Amino acid sequence: MTLQTVASAEKPAIPGRPRSDTARKVLLYAIYLVVAAIFLVPFLWTLVTSFKTLPDSFNFNFIPHPWTVHAWTDLWTNPSYHFPTYIKNSLFLAAVIVSCNLFLSALGGYAFARLKFPGRELLFLLVLGTLMVPDQLRLLPIFLMMVHWGLYGHFTSYILINLVSAVNLFFMRQYFLTIPKDFEEAAKLDGAGYFKIFWRVMLPLALPAMAALAILQFQGTWNDFFWPLILFGQGNPDHYTLQLGLAQLHSQFHQEWPSVTAGSIIAIIPVLVIFLAFQRYFVSGAVSAGVKG
Amino acid sequence: MSVMATTTATGAAPRRLSASMASARLREAGWGYGFALIPIAVFGLFFIYPFAYAVYISFYHWGIAGKTSPGTGTFNYAKVLHDPVFHIALRNIAEYTVAVVPLEMALGLSLALMINQKIHGRNFFRSAFYFPAIASSVAITTIILFIFAQDGLFNHIFGLNKDWFGQASTVGWGIVGMNAWTTSGTVMIFYLASLQAIPDDVYEAAALDNTGAWRTFWKITFPLLRPAHFFCLVVFGIGALKLFDQAFLVAGGASGSPNYSTMYPIIYIYNAAFGTFDFGLAAAAGVIYFVLIFGLTVVQRLTVGRQEVA
Repeated sequence: MTLQTVASAEKPAIPGRPRSDTARKVLLYAIYLVVAAIFLVPFLWTLVTSFKTLPDSFNFNFIPHPWTVHAWTDLWTNPSYHFPTYIKNSLFLAAVIVSCNLFLSALGGYAFARLKFPGRELLFLLVLGTLMVPDQLRLLPIFLMMVHWGLYGHFTSYILINLVSAVNLFFMRQYFLTIPKDFEEAAKLDGAGYFKIFWRVMLPLALPAMAALAILQFQGTWNDFFWPLILFGQGNPDHYTLQLGLAQLHSQFHQEWPSVTAGSIIAIIPVLVIFLAFQRYFVSGAVSAGVKG
Repeated sequence: MSVMATTTATGAAPRRLSASMASARLREAGWGYGFALIPIAVFGLFFIYPFAYAVYISFYHWGIAGKTSPGTGTFNYAKVLHDPVFHIALRNIAEYTVAVVPLEMALGLSLALMINQKIHGRNFFRSAFYFPAIASSVAITTIILFIFAQDGLFNHIFGLNKDWFGQASTVGWGIVGMNAWTTSGTVMIFYLASLQAIPDDVYEAAALDNTGAWRTFWKITFPLLRPAHFFCLVVFGIGALKLFDQAFLVAGGASGSPNYSTMYPIIYIYNAAFGTFDFGLAAAAGVIYFVLIFGLTVVQRLTVGRQEVA
């Protein structure tokens, strides 16, 4: 911003400026493109390699020679990779956990924002207190509890510990606090019960917040590696999530770059598509992740 | 509310009305508890209780078959504190954090300054810089291991022949570089928000004084970003102390190989739990590391946080 202000202020005085201005602009864009390349080339190289044959994947030609979709079809059809299962598992877990988080954090957030009950402030402190409990302390007790309940290695264990998060509940509570009370008052005068007010009045008003929550929770669940590793990692590959499966693929077939790179792309694509479609939610998510850290 | 309105309107039989008011309150409280019940149960069962449970386990000899000694004691704590591997883990995470946080912040601030210019394709560049931050840790680590393999693209471009992630002397720096690369996009978002909050007239004054761009940045922009610097230092500093995924994936497990160079505290805890099945030791290490991070946070809040508010 400052560079440009200074440049344009001087422009009329010095006749030779426009040309050096162009040169400066070219240089500026060159720098931008080099930096962008540092961020994008690793992904492009990964994408290109996934369309190579195995021997060609050890060469450095940027255009595959020959092109092939063998790695992709192989991931899909070769039963030793289990990739369709991993994708199905990850999609299933993400769908269930996003739905549960949407409903429960809205319900709880509404209660903490609007309903009066004894001990509300104390319980809310407990909600915020969960943010202080680190995963490295929880991992052992949760592992032991799940083994004890016979849920270890089952999807139920992962879903249970992720039913609702304090960050999400806090986020919904804050959003409900910004909604004027008039809407509920009107519904109350009409004789609506508390659940009806929540479901018919408050939820529709909170749709923007819920969209942001759904997107960020999907990203979190889809990308999660730590808890699936703890709860499914030692068990049956039938229960692996895509991230676990990709880690497994890489450690087992790590020289088979076309398959490994295709797997990496698959692990990124859903989040990438959502990112490109809903960028502004990710920006607000980065800010709320600050609360979590 | 509607109940209160009736009270003032009729005025008669106050006892009955206050009773109905109480029952309305009771009903509201009942629904409140009902709505909050499942979240509270989840937080109690999977956060608060495990916290207490971990502390409990840490005072026992506890193996895969459960409690193996009836007596309690601080022997697990003594063992962790005297374990040379735990010392290595602490030194590694200290080095990692001291290296990665300033690097992330410098990169993130540079990217934010780039995006804050009036240029064509701003949205494209912003998305490009933020892209690694949204991808999963597994995908990122896999891709970086591929690019930085001994026969990989990086060595090919620069004419080198190093096994970056395979030897103890470089693997720590490799993880620093990888995570600085992925996290700088997130840091950029924070700095961008702060940069856009700086009013334009500050810069206009500098332009009138004919202050150069470089001087303007160090004398005006950088000091004005103080709150953002402190915020990033705290948030990304604590984030760095929680390093796990990348170290686990680079080493292909929690052994810390090669030669304990990828041994970090959470890797140590994981390995004590699922590598050697010494649950008491793992719990004690978890408690010690929690106290350490908690202490650091408190110190940070008291020193850095105060200055920021003032």
